[in-house]
Amino acid sequence: MATLQIEKLTKTFPPHSKDGRPVRAIQDISFAMSGQVFVSLVGPSGCGKSTLLNIVSGVDSPSTGTVTVTQDGKKARLGYVFQDSRLLPWRTVMQNMLYVSDLPEEEGRANASKYLEMVGLGHAHDMYPGQLSGGMQQRVGIARAFSVSPDLLLMDEPFSHLDAITARSLREELQVMWNATKKTVLFVTHDVMEAVQLSNRIITLAHGGTVFDDTTIELPFPRKASDPEFAAQQAEILGRFETMELERTAAKG
Amino acid sequence: MSAATMSRQPGFANSSIGRALRSSWGARVTSYFAFVVAWQIVGASFFRVPTPWETLDFIWREVSGGDHGGVRPGQFWEHFSATVPRFAIGISVAFVIGVVVGLLIGSFSFVRALLSDVLLVFLALPAIIWAFLTVMWFGLGWEAPVYTVILSAAPFVAVNVAQGVRAVSPELRRMSDAFGVPRNRRIRSMLLPAITGYLFTGLRFAVIIGWNAVLLAEWFGAVDGVGWRARLWYDAARYKGFVGWAIIFIVFIFLLDGLVLSPLQRRAFRWRASPSSDLKAEVGAVDTESFTNTAIGL
Ligand SMILES: Nc1ncnc2c1ncn2[C@@H]1O[C@H](COP(=O)(O)OP(=O)(O)OP(=O)(O)O)[C@@H](O)[C@H]1O
Ligand SMILES: [Mg+2]
Repeated sequence: MATLQIEKLTKTFPPHSKDGRPVRAIQDISFAMSGQVFVSLVGPSGCGKSTLLNIVSGVDSPSTGTVTVTQDGKKARLGYVFQDSRLLPWRTVMQNMLYVSDLPEEEGRANASKYLEMVGLGHAHDMYPGQLSGGMQQRVGIARAFSVSPDLLLMDEPFSHLDAITARSLREELQVMWNATKKTVLFVTHDVMEAVQLSNRIITLAHGGTVFDDTTIELPFPRKASDPEFAAQQAEILGRFETMELERTAAKG
Repeated sequence: MSAATMSRQPGFANSSIGRALRSSWGARVTSYFAFVVAWQIVGASFFRVPTPWETLDFIWREVSGGDHGGVRPGQFWEHFSATVPRFAIGISVAFVIGVVVGLLIGSFSFVRALLSDVLLVFLALPAIIWAFLTVMWFGLGWEAPVYTVILSAAPFVAVNVAQGVRAVSPELRRMSDAFGVPRNRRIRSMLLPAITGYLFTGLRFAVIIGWNAVLLAEWFGAVDGVGWRARLWYDAARYKGFVGWAIIFIVFIFLLDGLVLSPLQRRAFRWRASPSSDLKAEVGAVDTESFTNTAIGL
């Protein structure tokens, strides 16, 4: 179980054009999360969600503020599931799994097999990504992230490119895997229903990269969208979104 | 009779010969045939142009060790086996140097700033300059051809590799960063496969340019080898000998490309062989694209 601590984080990108203004992707974000939690980050497009994950993963660096990810005081191991599967097209499924593994060859294979089995791709070891459907590729991406036994698992809209039915079944699988492993997860999504279904806690970001709202969801798992309490939670969060939009329109004049 | 039924009448355009001629295979055969006919006509009209038959006869004598009518017997294998190791060593070294320099230029902007102008100079220098220089440096022998091949072929590998590195998807780089993939694994499993198309383009350039280079260098700076042999016939004013060797050079490149490079390239692109894609078309597309890019880059 990892602890993620974000304090007064800002991120400014250089201007896109020569005489443009610098892009402020994240204004001022502070929050902390720790232990066996599934935290969703929701917010409108362009509010800096992917940027935040990139900074947490160390791929990008903060402009100001600090981000620390620790595991019992040590540096934590990370897993990352991207919006697109990001597999090496010229390597087989198994080779893609081994690409990120730091176990010895034999152990790495056994470990990879275990996670491929878990996402229902036990038969696809020797297939190339180009031979898999989009949903299957995304499953490999998920297996890959789990296979490194991450202390903190980052997921950036992993189901948004998939059709509704595939997304639904993958969401259920993710739920099962999370229950089995109880990783610390930071999950980015556009979809409020998805967030309510999966998470213990939902952090809403506003346009311009600030925290707008931070809610805990107490419903027991597995959650069903047909459950009235589920619907109520979802309605409440959506209501806050509307408030946010109204405030924004009002502020604009 | 309506137009539709008219067009169904059997005629030349629909006969099997007509179809064979219009197929790309037929078109090729036609073009070769036309070439040989034209050659025959020109050869029969001008004393200094050997006919196809004379040339073929010469090649046969040269390859089989037959009699050339007083000068010397055919010595194809002797010279061929002197040249091929020079060419092979030169190309291998050029390839390794080209890949390393290309990776460095593609990966580090300061190396790029340092070397891109130097590379341009090397690309612009014709092989004949290297042939003269290396003969001056090393005298007659095996060194001049080998170094000429290296110096003229390596830059073409380097530009292509550098271009390939810069085209590697930033998404895959970020993925590798996020998972902390070690550098050597990243080079082996991400970078090199990503630039395979560019590597092959570079290698093909290197082979063609290197072959030119070895011939030139042997022409001026060796005491055996196919380049030297071609010069022997040239100096003796034996036109069919000179043309015969030119044809041998071309056939060699064709065979090398068809029997070695193309199969290698297909093997390297196995992963593209998904049911929905036509392998050859895709590989071809990559090739032409990077060929053009390089041409523009020059
Ligand atoms: N590498 C970059 N260079 C410059 N600007 C960037 C870069 N990455 C992101 N941005 C800018 O930062 C802002 C936030 O981008 P980000 O990708 O984090 O949004 P997001 O919340 O993930 O959006 P979406 O939901 O559409 O994925 C955008 O305005 C974007 O243009
Ligand atoms: Mg995003």
